[in-house]
Amino acid sequence: MPELHSVVCVKVVPKPEEVRVDEQTHSLVRAQVRSEINPPDMNAMEMALGLKDRYGGTVSILSMGPPLFEPYLRAALAMGADHIYLLSDPAFAGADTLATTYTLSLGVRKIGAVDLVFCGEESSDGATGQVPAGLAEWLDLPQLSLLTHIDLNLQERLAHGRRELKGGYEIVRATLPCVVSVKTAANEPRFIDYAIKDWAFGEGRITVWGHEALGAELALIGLAGSPTRVTGLAEAQTRHRRREFIDGDPQHIAHRLAQLLRDNN
Amino acid sequence: MVASAYTPQDEDKAIWVYLEHDADQLEDVSKELLGKGRQMADELGWKLAGLLIGHQVEPLVEQAFSYRVDQVWMVEHVLLKDFSIEGFTQAAYQALLQAKPSVFLLGATPNARDLAGRLAVRLRTGLNADCTDLRMVAENGVLVSEVSGFGGGVLALIQMAEHRPQMATVRPGVFPLPEPVAGFVGECITVGVNLQPGDIHTQILERQVGEGMDLSRAEVLVAGGRGVEGDFAMLFELARLLKGEVGATRPPVDEGHIERERQVGQTGVVCSPKIAICCGISGAFHFVVGIEKADMVIAINTDPQAPIFDYADYCIVGDVHQVLPALIAELRRSMEVVHA
Amino acid sequence: MSDQILELDEATWERMLQLTHGAVAECFQCGVCTAACPWGEVRQEPLSVRTLIRRAQLGIGHDNHTLWLCTSCAQCAAYCPRGVDINQVMRALRLLAWERRQVEKGLPAVLWSLYWNDNPWQQPPSQRMAWANDLNLPKFDPQVHEVLLYIGCTSSYDRRAQQVARALVRLLRGAGVSFGVLGEAEPCCGESALSLGHLYYFRDLAREALQVFAEHGVHKLIAISPHCWYAFTQAYPALDEKVAFEAMHYTQYLHELVQAGRLAFRAGGTRSVTFQDPCYLGRLSGEYHAPRQVLKAIPGTNLVEMEAHGVDALCCGGGGGRMWLETPAGERFSDLRIPQAQHAGAEVLVTACPFCLICLEDSAKTARAATLKVIDLAEYACLALEEAPSSE
Repeated sequence: MPELHSVVCVKVVPKPEEVRVDEQTHSLVRAQVRSEINPPDMNAMEMALGLKDRYGGTVSILSMGPPLFEPYLRAALAMGADHIYLLSDPAFAGADTLATTYTLSLGVRKIGAVDLVFCGEESSDGATGQVPAGLAEWLDLPQLSLLTHIDLNLQERLAHGRRELKGGYEIVRATLPCVVSVKTAANEPRFIDYAIKDWAFGEGRITVWGHEALGAELALIGLAGSPTRVTGLAEAQTRHRRREFIDGDPQHIAHRLAQLLRDNN
Repeated sequence: MVASAYTPQDEDKAIWVYLEHDADQLEDVSKELLGKGRQMADELGWKLAGLLIGHQVEPLVEQAFSYRVDQVWMVEHVLLKDFSIEGFTQAAYQALLQAKPSVFLLGATPNARDLAGRLAVRLRTGLNADCTDLRMVAENGVLVSEVSGFGGGVLALIQMAEHRPQMATVRPGVFPLPEPVAGFVGECITVGVNLQPGDIHTQILERQVGEGMDLSRAEVLVAGGRGVEGDFAMLFELARLLKGEVGATRPPVDEGHIERERQVGQTGVVCSPKIAICCGISGAFHFVVGIEKADMVIAINTDPQAPIFDYADYCIVGDVHQVLPALIAELRRSMEVVHA
Repeated sequence: MSDQILELDEATWERMLQLTHGAVAECFQCGVCTAACPWGEVRQEPLSVRTLIRRAQLGIGHDNHTLWLCTSCAQCAAYCPRGVDINQVMRALRLLAWERRQVEKGLPAVLWSLYWNDNPWQQPPSQRMAWANDLNLPKFDPQVHEVLLYIGCTSSYDRRAQQVARALVRLLRGAGVSFGVLGEAEPCCGESALSLGHLYYFRDLAREALQVFAEHGVHKLIAISPHCWYAFTQAYPALDEKVAFEAMHYTQYLHELVQAGRLAFRAGGTRSVTFQDPCYLGRLSGEYHAPRQVLKAIPGTNLVEMEAHGVDALCCGGGGGRMWLETPAGERFSDLRIPQAQHAGAEVLVTACPFCLICLEDSAKTARAATLKVIDLAEYACLALEEAPSSE
């Protein structure tokens, strides 16, 4: 039986609390903003690595972004993955979900021999949560979404997962290969493995593909391939709160609160 | 630029809403979208239609009409009895190709998000996800979506000029739940779908629906943090008296005092209650995101410097173990008076 | 008793020998450590340090949870007849746990926080100086400033501990000290990684921090937390890393200022004060004298000692990475310290470590100890400053 091979889609995002919007140009101020790996993608990495622990095989990291992603992707590689594939090309810039999932799907196809494609549930910047489904559609693969746990039956080429929803849960199953989206905070991402750290930040393999290497149709990538347009951008105004302090003993406070609750409920 | 499966020139001036359903009931989020859709359609003089996919779902057509849809497009097939992403995507795709509506709205629920994501790619159209507001531009029939990013720190307006349908997903509770009306009857149109068992590669093996608690819908939220020290019984009692729900921050969940479904915040549930009562919660950034939209926030904490007070309307520096019992007693007292 | 055959793991034993520089071999299993450990005072079952070391000697596994209870207070090591560096043994065991991915929940997140945020508290890096927005603190300049004030992550981000930093700033200005800060460039000392046992990551953090200090020309550094100070004065050199600056704990520096006549305190009311020796200042570093001298220099201070003070001081429970793990109510060492302070006749319990401050204040609140005030030495001294300092 061939080795299990999982691909994990990883995005590097600006740290949410650091983001500022330029009022003039209505675009994000990207300079000097610290970045991190999108936290749900860390959960996706952990789920894929958990399967590698149990079933063996390899884990490849796939990312679409500029070269500055590299040190972040190497940190993910150091968690225990085997290879980084970075889809990097100025032509990919400005992509919305349609163009992004198309580009990623070409990456997955080019990597080849993939049993599972893992994605974090959503990303902390765009937070559309549409990449897993869109990617599954381009790849014409079944999908299991919002999983907190996964098991494989490699003989029968099946994946079983648990999703938690509506206060309850579902046990779901799909044939392999399939796309899996991982619920945010579903697991605790392991820290960097120091046994491979030097390798990950040194000789660790990173393959970079541009649009030509992928055979991408120009009409489907980047800004050109994006039906949606951002027409306005602003920092959200935090709601103004009263900040009125209520003093006194618990009885007095209770009386006042009861009043407020009555008036407002 | 890639062209969508149909263009603005071909479109039917209609707003479609995906009618998600479970256990013979339309999901609340679908009703909310019907309410908003009706308002937007009326502004433009457009049709409002619902897309209903399933097996033996005729009773739901009636329900849909009570939310004043002009049409229900129903895709009926035995293989659509349970939700499957392949079956439902194919069904929706065929219906949309046939009807070509300008706008297609879905709730941002676990299954509908997947459906929207696959459908948007299949149709080669755009998708505005998790919108916090929607409006139609009367002059050109363009849907403008407001979305938030970066944990709510940034708001963006997004639209698509050349691609159809204009798709958007909206979280439950963003729009108000409309009241159903009697006596409204629209048109029901049945659409066929080509579907074979071999088309479906996913299966639900086991399903356990929770007690239906949905924090995101709660009108009153009583949330407890570290300062409650695991004593959630009194929060449940307060919530019961106020007809609300109990939520929590991460620490009590991690310690096993309360279930994870009740975790409020960036990695939990985002709520928009009328009243949020924060008990023994310090007010870290990732929690506050979960109650920001509350109409009124009351915070109780022993630490006068607790950050939560910056996000509260009414601030009490005190011990929840003293304030809550007093409040519960006070509420019980006033309820007795009412019932006397 | 089942006939269980335990596999002795020679490789693990060799590794433990190497990591502890032979210390783990010196234990002859007398059990004094277990008797000394404060966990025996808050739980039915004491923390059997002896068993942990024995199992390490045999190279067999141990109960993972117990390993993470250790607060690295070194009370055990203080009484050990062979002088075994038990903290080092614990850290080595924790390193093995990291390599086997058998650590307590929540701990990988602490290391990732160090990695992405340069602090163990999951706080935004850009907010590191928010506590000092109104203080106009100058950026450190080696040509101009006598010392670098090193705030540390806890005093930068924890609301209570920030007040200690503010008090210290007032004291330094009151003494006319010319000082600067590194601002957002201030590196984390990495002590949390050390305490949690990830010795390799700690080494990386130490190297990064030393590089930042070198780039800024730091020659003399004053630390607020004894944990940071311990890292600079003992843990970094133990890694064979060259530390090119003199590092003092702020209590030592205040003592220096008092002796040089640069800091004077005005008379106030008399109060009975007792001092909580932080483990990393006292037992682990031998500094018991300086903080007491500063207290004695403050008029009206009637210094009383708790029965367990100095080398016998009871740990607050915050060291050894415990600040990132939940200790159930009823098992907190600091809960025991409050009645000890009251028993000594103290109205004020003074400490000089942010962890001690947070833990002891929490316990005082839990105990509803209305008559005992918990305060940091810098804050206590600030109350007695001669006059308001001029701002720079």
